[in-house]
Amino acid sequence: MNHSEAVHQMAAERYLLDELTPDEREAFECHIFECPECALDLRFGAAFVEEAKAQLPELTRGLPAFVPPRSSSLETKRKWWQNLLQPAFAAPAFATLLLVLGYQNLVTYPALRAAANQPRLLAWAPLHEATRGGAHEVITADRRHGVALPVDLSPQPGMGVYASYSFDLYDPQGKLAWTGLTAANAGEASEGQRISLVIPGAMLRNGTYAIVVAGVAAHGERNEIDRYVFDLRLTD
Amino acid sequence: MQLHSFDAGYVDSLCAGDRQTQEHFVGYFTELLQLKLRSRLQSPHAIEDVRQETFARVFSVLQKNGGLRQPESLGAFVNMVCNHVLSEHYRSAIGGESLDAEGRPEVPDKGADALEIVTARQSKDKVREILLNLEPRDRSLLKAVFLDERDRDEVCLEFGVDRDYLRVLLHRAKQEFKAEFLKRAGKQAASNAND
Repeated sequence: MNHSEAVHQMAAERYLLDELTPDEREAFECHIFECPECALDLRFGAAFVEEAKAQLPELTRGLPAFVPPRSSSLETKRKWWQNLLQPAFAAPAFATLLLVLGYQNLVTYPALRAAANQPRLLAWAPLHEATRGGAHEVITADRRHGVALPVDLSPQPGMGVYASYSFDLYDPQGKLAWTGLTAANAGEASEGQRISLVIPGAMLRNGTYAIVVAGVAAHGERNEIDRYVFDLRLTD
Repeated sequence: MQLHSFDAGYVDSLCAGDRQTQEHFVGYFTELLQLKLRSRLQSPHAIEDVRQETFARVFSVLQKNGGLRQPESLGAFVNMVCNHVLSEHYRSAIGGESLDAEGRPEVPDKGADALEIVTARQSKDKVREILLNLEPRDRSLLKAVFLDERDRDEVCLEFGVDRDYLRVLLHRAKQEFKAEFLKRAGKQAASNAND
């Protein structure tokens, strides 16, 4: 540290206030042993501080008690997120949160549990296998009930026995919306089986759906058995 | 308090054992050493030990070598010796015995003379005047920092000021104190010259 730096950085004041880093302190002390001007400056500062410490108790005792006012600068120093904890904001926020939690626990969840645990009535919408060039079958449904689609799984002549059947549901955009697998009835292979594919109302959209059914052999080979294409129309 | 630079003549006088030069040397560097050591050592006894040992070694080296190659670096040399003594003090207790093999007594701190007593009185009056001229807030601020020794950031936040404000406050007080002293020292020097 040279003289110019010591003066510019107010090193003497920072030294007396114990604000210098260890390296800065080392550099300043090295400088004051070589620079009589800075040494004198520091000595005056130290002498003032020592005498002030001796006199301040008396000088502050005799004066009216000073309570530092909270200035606007203190307000701005508060971090922005601390404002969120102020009662004016926090109280309504917590009240709203309690309302939401209460509604969910008292209304929404009980209704969902009831819907899952109670029987309900759902009409079948029979499907017919898609035919080349034929018009699509139209099935109506509503979002509240969904739609139940019965599918007959008949054994294919010359195809052997399948271990399971796979179902692929394609939505009106042509995307694979869902896929499922069900085991074949081993004891009634020659008689076939009927499966109901239930599509919940939330998944339903107006448009053309396709269901592809495939037989899956024990070694994993898949063979498409049936393809059903239908137009779905929502009533709600 | 006066500005003083060290030259070959000064170092030669020191090496020769000139009493006045030695007293000046001890007086000048005692204060700097105490400022340096009080931030590193808790005990006044330890500070005094290190101070004494530093001076003893400086005198020993100066007399053995007949001086310094660069007399103007006398201050840096004293600081360096102090650092070595401090390192040794940290490693083990220093008995405070002088390195002076000849057993020459150490140069003691000279007592305050009449001029210094008067100067001390004037210092008190000037500091009091400076403090009374401050705003009550600034007085309380200085008390909180230097007397109550509270955390600086906490104090600045409470008083609604920043660290720069605190530094400038101290700087102005120090400058006013120093200006008064230098003015009196100048008058005293002029008076002595006329006598």
